[in-house]
Amino acid sequence: MTEKIKLYDDSKCTACRGCQLACKQWNALKATQTVNRGTYQNPPSLNPSTYMLIHFQDYVTKDGDVKWLFRKEACMHCTDAACVTVCPSGALHYNKATGTVGLDHDKCIGCKECVAACPFEIPKYDARTDKVYKCDMCESRITNNMEPACVKACPTGALKWGVKEDMLKVAAKRVGQLGGDATTYGDQYVKGTHFMYVLKEKPEVYADIHKDPSVPLSVTLWKGWLKPLSLLAAGGVMAGAFIHYITHGPKTPHEDGQEQKGGE
Amino acid sequence: MKKGYVQVTDSYERIIHWTMAISCLLLCLTGLGMMFQSFNFIGYVFGGLKNLKLVHNFTGLIFAVSLLLAIRMWWKEAGVFVFPEDLDWIKAAGGYLWHVEKVPETGKYNPGQKAFFLVVAGFGVIMIITGLIMWFPTALPVGLVRWMYPLHALGFVAIFAFFFIHLYLGTIGNPGSVQAMFSGWMDKKVLTMLHPKWVKEMEHEGKLIVYGEEKKDDAHGHTA
Repeated sequence: MTEKIKLYDDSKCTACRGCQLACKQWNALKATQTVNRGTYQNPPSLNPSTYMLIHFQDYVTKDGDVKWLFRKEACMHCTDAACVTVCPSGALHYNKATGTVGLDHDKCIGCKECVAACPFEIPKYDARTDKVYKCDMCESRITNNMEPACVKACPTGALKWGVKEDMLKVAAKRVGQLGGDATTYGDQYVKGTHFMYVLKEKPEVYADIHKDPSVPLSVTLWKGWLKPLSLLAAGGVMAGAFIHYITHGPKTPHEDGQEQKGGE
Repeated sequence: MKKGYVQVTDSYERIIHWTMAISCLLLCLTGLGMMFQSFNFIGYVFGGLKNLKLVHNFTGLIFAVSLLLAIRMWWKEAGVFVFPEDLDWIKAAGGYLWHVEKVPETGKYNPGQKAFFLVVAGFGVIMIITGLIMWFPTALPVGLVRWMYPLHALGFVAIFAFFFIHLYLGTIGNPGSVQAMFSGWMDKKVLTMLHPKWVKEMEHEGKLIVYGEEKKDDAHGHTA
């Protein structure tokens, strides 16, 4: 299967939230009680039963104009995914066929290590089930040659699903058309995300977006260095003790005629 | 018990030692089961990886209590280096690595033992703090929580490696010394070789408890 990615173009998004509903529907996620917080953004953030969310933002331009900014937040499906690196049980894994990051809830032990590792703060922990939840790019759909539910529902073409190279070209072309501060977001981070944005403003303008996301240094230190070192150090000590035993021998009292050995 | 054996630990010390040792080993084992996916099979023993996580977390509480009691119990004897005698011992590597005519005499615990105690105490406290935060990570900012994991792994690197040194030197590396943590009685000859200064001090103060010998003066050093 060719590597495909999902592209979100905020300049085409009307924030109808058809994608948000389609996501709930396909994944059979319960709606939660909502509260009027003076914004259409609802719920306020991702949660165990909300895998994707449209952000609503009142943005005041340099000229004093007020504009809507929308942004779809969901798992970015990193190529170098910190959550997969830290997951102790293999619950978080690469979907080999597509390169997206899947989550096997039968294997999840609720350790929450992915929650702290994710550079986009996507996985959400549910204390009720003691498991973590996030978007799996509709694994059940894409492995059956269907597009993710959110893409299927999008009426404006703001969401697209397609072969990575094609999508990168579409994104680059769209950025050119939009001009100004328009940019892509995602393809340049964590060895490329499988969900990327075309943004009409600079990324830092968007509320709650992660600027220059990368695999946290703590994760690299932990899993890349200390993890192998733990076995190497213990193995080294065991080998050292054995060598000491066969070269120096144990310490025994003088009277045994076995003068405490040393040197040779 | 044989004649000429000396009591070196009391039952309280041995209970704390083994509570800490067994919980620590169980933590290492269950921790390995979560650190390496290739060791996930350790979870089968506990009926799954999720139970292994629970066993790890609650064993951590037992370890925490025993560690704090151990620090309180052994700090004066094993937590503080005494100069210059400890430095002399370190310069001679305790006679373990090359030939030393006469190993510098130290107190009840030599600097090697003190180093092990301090590694377990220091990293053990780090393990408890980082472990508790890892248990409830959503209570603190993610930027802070992230660093708990490499710190926890660093503590494991240190404690796991030092454990094997401790195991070797406490058993076949120093024959006879293991009895200090089983029966609590050690052969005086072995003890005098390993801890000459302490034996002399105890004899001088009349506190040395030798099997089969009447204590010279039971009340010595005590008011009652």
